[in-house]
Amino acid sequence: MLNLNFYKFFENIDRVLMTLIIFLISLGLITLASASQQNIILLGNQIIKILIGIVLLVFLSNIDPKRFLFYSPHLYIVSLILLLFVAFFGFESHGAKRWINLLFFNLQPSEIIKITIPLMLAWLYHRFQNTINYKIHSAAFIILAIPCLIIFKQPDLGTAILIGLSGFVIIFLAGLSLKFIIVSIFGFLLALPYFWSTLHLYQQNRVLSLIDSARDPLGAGYHSIQSMIAIGSGGFLGKGWSYGSQTQLNFLPETTTDFIFSVYGEEFGLIGVIGIFIIYFFILYRCIDMAKKMQNTFSRLITAALTFTLFISTFVNIAMVSGVIPIVGAPLPFISYGGTSIVVSLSMIGIIMSLHSHKSLIAN
Amino acid sequence: MDLYKFKHTFKQRLNFIFGIIIFIFLLLLIKFFYLQIIKFDNYSSLAKSNSLKIIPIPAIRGQILDRNGEILAANKLIYTLELDPENKGDLNKIKKQLSNIAEITKYDIKKYNKILKESYYSSTLPIKTNLTDVQVAKFISHQYKYPNIFLKQKFSRTYPKEKSGAHFIGHINRINKNDIRRLVKTNKFESYMGLDHIGKTGIEYFYEDILHGYPGYKTIEVDVNNKVIRTLEIIEPKHGEDIILNIDYKIQEIAEKAFEKYKGAMVALNPENGAVLAYVSQPSFNPNLFTNGIDEVNWRRLNDSIHKPLINRVVSGLYPPGSTLKPFVALAALENNIRRLPFSIIDKGFYNMPNESKTFLDWKKGGHGEVDIIKAIVVSCDSFFYGLGVELGIPKLNSVLKRFGFGEKTNIDMPNEKRGLIASAKWKKEKYKKKWYQGETAITAIGQGYTQTTPIQLALATVKLINPDYILRPQLLKIITTPNYMESKSGNSTDQIKKIAPFGLQNMEIEKLNLSDTTKTDNLGLIREAMSLVTKEGGTAAFIGRNSSYDISAKTGTAQVFSLKKDEIYDESKLPDELKDHALFIAFAPSEKPRLVIAIVVENGGHGGSTAGPIAKKVFDAYLSETN
Repeated sequence: MLNLNFYKFFENIDRVLMTLIIFLISLGLITLASASQQNIILLGNQIIKILIGIVLLVFLSNIDPKRFLFYSPHLYIVSLILLLFVAFFGFESHGAKRWINLLFFNLQPSEIIKITIPLMLAWLYHRFQNTINYKIHSAAFIILAIPCLIIFKQPDLGTAILIGLSGFVIIFLAGLSLKFIIVSIFGFLLALPYFWSTLHLYQQNRVLSLIDSARDPLGAGYHSIQSMIAIGSGGFLGKGWSYGSQTQLNFLPETTTDFIFSVYGEEFGLIGVIGIFIIYFFILYRCIDMAKKMQNTFSRLITAALTFTLFISTFVNIAMVSGVIPIVGAPLPFISYGGTSIVVSLSMIGIIMSLHSHKSLIAN
Repeated sequence: MDLYKFKHTFKQRLNFIFGIIIFIFLLLLIKFFYLQIIKFDNYSSLAKSNSLKIIPIPAIRGQILDRNGEILAANKLIYTLELDPENKGDLNKIKKQLSNIAEITKYDIKKYNKILKESYYSSTLPIKTNLTDVQVAKFISHQYKYPNIFLKQKFSRTYPKEKSGAHFIGHINRINKNDIRRLVKTNKFESYMGLDHIGKTGIEYFYEDILHGYPGYKTIEVDVNNKVIRTLEIIEPKHGEDIILNIDYKIQEIAEKAFEKYKGAMVALNPENGAVLAYVSQPSFNPNLFTNGIDEVNWRRLNDSIHKPLINRVVSGLYPPGSTLKPFVALAALENNIRRLPFSIIDKGFYNMPNESKTFLDWKKGGHGEVDIIKAIVVSCDSFFYGLGVELGIPKLNSVLKRFGFGEKTNIDMPNEKRGLIASAKWKKEKYKKKWYQGETAITAIGQGYTQTTPIQLALATVKLINPDYILRPQLLKIITTPNYMESKSGNSTDQIKKIAPFGLQNMEIEKLNLSDTTKTDNLGLIREAMSLVTKEGGTAAFIGRNSSYDISAKTGTAQVFSLKKDEIYDESKLPDELKDHALFIAFAPSEKPRLVIAIVVENGGHGGSTAGPIAKKVFDAYLSETN
């Protein structure tokens, strides 16, 4: 019966996680409505992207994890090619080449790679799970480093760091020796001056303006200051939906994308921030719980990696708008306006759900 | 590595990362708590200062009118082209840009630069004022071409009488740094928000607080591009109040016309209450030159002129009183029981000091013959007063002069009033470290020497001769009213008068001096009688009394501008104008019941009666016929 089949289609959806995600997306839409100053076209656009994302989520939740395992290297290669394509043919916006124009929408390969790298790394560790040694770890580093460098050159420092971090989490979970980690951290610190010199001037300014935001109030520090004013002036209860002066009078930049959390903070106050943090906590808890219960290396690593990718993105964005770290230009998953981000985030959840509900299908 | 160990490590590290994430969550929460709770007030006010702007609404300055509603200072709506000093660009380029709308002259640019140097806050500043309607229309239709140039509509002060009455009306000018210092010190600065001008002289200065009103403001909400989103609050300005003066402009005009050829000052008071009915200081200037910042050429012309047109001679001009002091000196003698009638002297045209050390000449060669105290005033006999002064002595003389207000400010409602000077031994010692000679007492008694008065002092002293029982103060202000009181006066809205002049008029009833014992009144009567004879045949101002339908009491005076060297003979016709004697004149009429008191100084006017007298006569004629 059709009815039964239709129901069956949703049977791999984790209800708890799905409820939390829908909650989060709804909050995001409400905020976006205010941030865009009730721009119906923009909202409609976002809703369409959300629906595409949910369809993709449901679709991915029904896919046999064996297929993920099988196609991981292919997907990784394809996303690398896309990244290179962007480097040569992508169009520029805000001083960075990040997008490919696909007629219907602009594809951002650096978002897609957020999925394909964890898949590829998980595939690697799964494939060689019985013989994990420094060679495998080195291979993992190379797999991670190539896309990171390409993205860094776009230039998109934020995404590069984000992807690098989430890839590193996988390697860490896969058992990289602590000694090596400590040594490499020291190595990184030593190499820092070199990295500093490779940063673009505007990136250096952003970092410096964070250290002293009054240094350049109209330049790089301006966005950061306006964002903090928005959040701070929200107070405990917030100014109320669509009543945030910083947002509505455009003192806050990029209200629908990078700074949407400032809008949320201004209009819903600390109480709203606490509320959304609680939702985040439950999502995190649920995902980690799932990862722990999974039966094989591949599933575990992917679930953990995707979860952390989402959360690192979330932290980077929130820390950025609240002035903890420099403005790096990273969207807030599930909330920021932007097609690729929401579709990719929902896809990640779809993959996690698939791995969760098909846990017995991949034998150890 | 076996799978079990792998799984164990995985779980351990997963928990570790989970812990880190919770830790980061808490850190972020602390940051939000810090921003939204601890620093809330700070960020809240920052958000407000982003979006809320307060724009002052200037108050309209009160008008100045004469007692009949004649407008002496008003406001005219004008259009100006203004530049933002922070973003003005090249002035020559702007000049070229505007060439087909209005010519920006060299003076305009000079004036702009002067204003720019003196301006205190960065609102826009005018490059071209008083645009014509055609120029305004042209500018509006091409406005898009001039993003840096602003068309502003504002009220500009105008003085329709131009040179006439310029000294007492005063003028306004742009607020400069000194004004700001003063305003800040007196806590008035905030009431000048959005205003460019402030009263600088005359009534405009003295009654600045009444005239300028209190600005309102509106609070507007703007977006990041300074586009106005909405107006949140409007506090209407409290417009300045009109000032109605005691001045009778008809009389003023006649006095000025009579004064046209001369330099000097004239003031006419109502002896009943001290009201100033006419107030002339010559030469004058056009106060309209100042309203939008005077240009340098005009400023030089006015400020450097040897005729000093900017000096308000009525209150700031210091002159030796000459013989106009004699009635007061005579009164001092009578009060001290010397020279009382029928005492007389035989004047042969000179006076020898008691110790024969020095001889002083009378103005009339050969003398006046037998002279008693009345004749001494009528013919202005110097010899009589030399001896009188020497016998009376400076302290007794000065105590009477002081009672008549010499050496003290009259406290007229005008700025920059001078005190004048009553000379004394003590004063000379302090000033010159020199001893007082008796000869100086002799010349002080005829109003030469060190004693100096202002025309307003002379006028008030004369008022006190008539009205000794009251402490009066000369006053220009008659009424403070709500705007446009005069226009609605034809209706019955007398309730619109807000305040009667706060002093003077009332003081008259309050302070009664204990002067009315009979001897003193008799003495005064004698002096007044003598003064009434001055305009009769034989008196020094007989010619003004000849064809008069009413009696005038007067005293002429001549004040030396420079001292003759020994044996030199004063010959008016041979002297250059600026060294000629000043002519002085005090008068009141009608003699029996005076309604007007006049004091006149004509600089370098030669003999008192001949130049100053006719001016006084014309003013009396006009006033007495008008008020009859």
